[in-house]
Amino acid sequence: MIAASHLTRQFGTRVVVDDVSLTVGRGELVALLGPNGAGKTTTMRMLAGLIRPTRGAAAIDGVELTERNGSRLRRRIGFLTEAPGLWDRLTVRENLEIYARLYDVARPSAAVDALLSQLGLSEHASMRSAELSKGMKQKVALARALVHDPDIVLLDEPTAGLDPEIAKHVRDLLEERRAAGCALLVSTHNLDEAERIADRVAVIQHRLLAFDHPDALRRRFARGRVRVRVAGEASRFLAIARSFDREASAHGAALTLQLADAEAQTSGLVRQLVSAGADVVEVSHERAGLEDVYLHFVKPDPEGVSA
Amino acid sequence: MNQRIRALLQKELIEVARHKSSLLPIVLVGVYCLLLPFVLTIVLPRVTGDRLGEDPDFVNVAGRSFGMYPHLSADGRVQTFFFQQFLLVFLVVPVSVAMSAAAHAVVGEKEARTMEPLLATPLTTAELLVAKVLGALLPAVIVSAPGLLLYLASIAVFAEPGVFQTMMTMRSAATVVLLGPGLALIALQLTVLIASRVQEEDTARQLAILSLLPLGGIIFAQFTGRVWLSAAALAAAGVGLIGVWLLLLVLSVAVFDRDAVLTRWR
Repeated sequence: MIAASHLTRQFGTRVVVDDVSLTVGRGELVALLGPNGAGKTTTMRMLAGLIRPTRGAAAIDGVELTERNGSRLRRRIGFLTEAPGLWDRLTVRENLEIYARLYDVARPSAAVDALLSQLGLSEHASMRSAELSKGMKQKVALARALVHDPDIVLLDEPTAGLDPEIAKHVRDLLEERRAAGCALLVSTHNLDEAERIADRVAVIQHRLLAFDHPDALRRRFARGRVRVRVAGEASRFLAIARSFDREASAHGAALTLQLADAEAQTSGLVRQLVSAGADVVEVSHERAGLEDVYLHFVKPDPEGVSA
Repeated sequence: MNQRIRALLQKELIEVARHKSSLLPIVLVGVYCLLLPFVLTIVLPRVTGDRLGEDPDFVNVAGRSFGMYPHLSADGRVQTFFFQQFLLVFLVVPVSVAMSAAAHAVVGEKEARTMEPLLATPLTTAELLVAKVLGALLPAVIVSAPGLLLYLASIAVFAEPGVFQTMMTMRSAATVVLLGPGLALIALQLTVLIASRVQEEDTARQLAILSLLPLGGIIFAQFTGRVWLSAAALAAAGVGLIGVWLLLLVLSVAVFDRDAVLTRWR
């Protein structure tokens, strides 16, 4: 539905986003991960048609975003900016209704009422934005991004600084939008959140370092550590384990070893243990977390500036 | 006016209504412009006992218009001249104060980090800039309109007999309906244009006021009697100014760089 094709953005001589290509399909949620200054916000701004790529293009359903068609295509996008950016002197309702009209919503009041209710903001509708807590401001900003019922949603750190309850509420809302067929691109520092909600994960540090399903990424970086629990003393079968890994060890009923390719070698290991008379009770693979994947790719950035 | 311009204009007006002190300079300048001609042409002559129509300087300044109103007394002719000149000042000076609001409307959005979500909407650059200009102009008009009525009513009450009727001419109408709004639109559009290219509100305001110096020259020439524009000339000037505003709007749209607004302003 929305695609980045070789997106590149330079500021002077500094390349902030370098040849990034990714797609977000209908009913898909992609998490954009990367350290501060990695180019996440710049990528999102290019996808939202707010800034021009130096090279490459952003496209919606195959139509390239340009200055000429920007106004028409932006109507399909809901963009949560890094800062909430609410008009402080206006109430929550006024903020949302004015944005609903800016997005050409046919019945702005009704759309705002529905959204306020859905997000549990009805009680705060008459409060001025300046009076809201940081978390509530973020929630209102999210409501603003969704007020025109967009089919593409770009959210720049939607749960940053939110308490767990509101963050959960936001995640639920994203799930609903995904179920409704929206394409969602969500930048976050919260790896646990990305692991839980994302269909695919894009790791970016100026360049796109990885882009795949979380499970596939984890498998790719699984450490290959296998633990086999047998009935009785495991040391009886240590020789077999050491034929797979010379460093294998036995502690009580457990054999622990490192396999070069855990997916492929585990069945062979179990077969040999059983042939040698072992009663295999449990085999477990130590799985890599998204954090391991992230840390594998992301290197300290000496520039470390906001981008 | 389309829905998006109306929506943003409504936001601008709500902000002004919730921040009434921002209107105070317009009110003060309006009151000053309202009082000055009456002090000059009615209060001072009564206090000093001097007659306006016998003051060679006033008669000289009133110059070309002096012979145009034979039905008026000498004092009435000088009053008519001054009241007509101050009508233009009364319409334009509050707008120069509104230029602050126009500068703030653009740079302030950026400083408050409200510009990015606004630019993410389907709002076109032309719609954004028109809404910003009207958002600064309308409060000035709303504040000035009662002042204008008061100005005319005071002329009817305090000026020499016949002056008010003499003021109710096509010349005055052209000044109020065409020249004043034309000058206001140009001043505010210039401010918005400059504000969209600079990073600080003060810079925008100062540069915009600087650009109005030629206008000040015309007003000064009118005051000193060197220039006397007829009703037709004023109307033509008003229409011309609105044309200039439209050109400025096109130029403003061309130089408004959304990318730079988001990436270069810090």
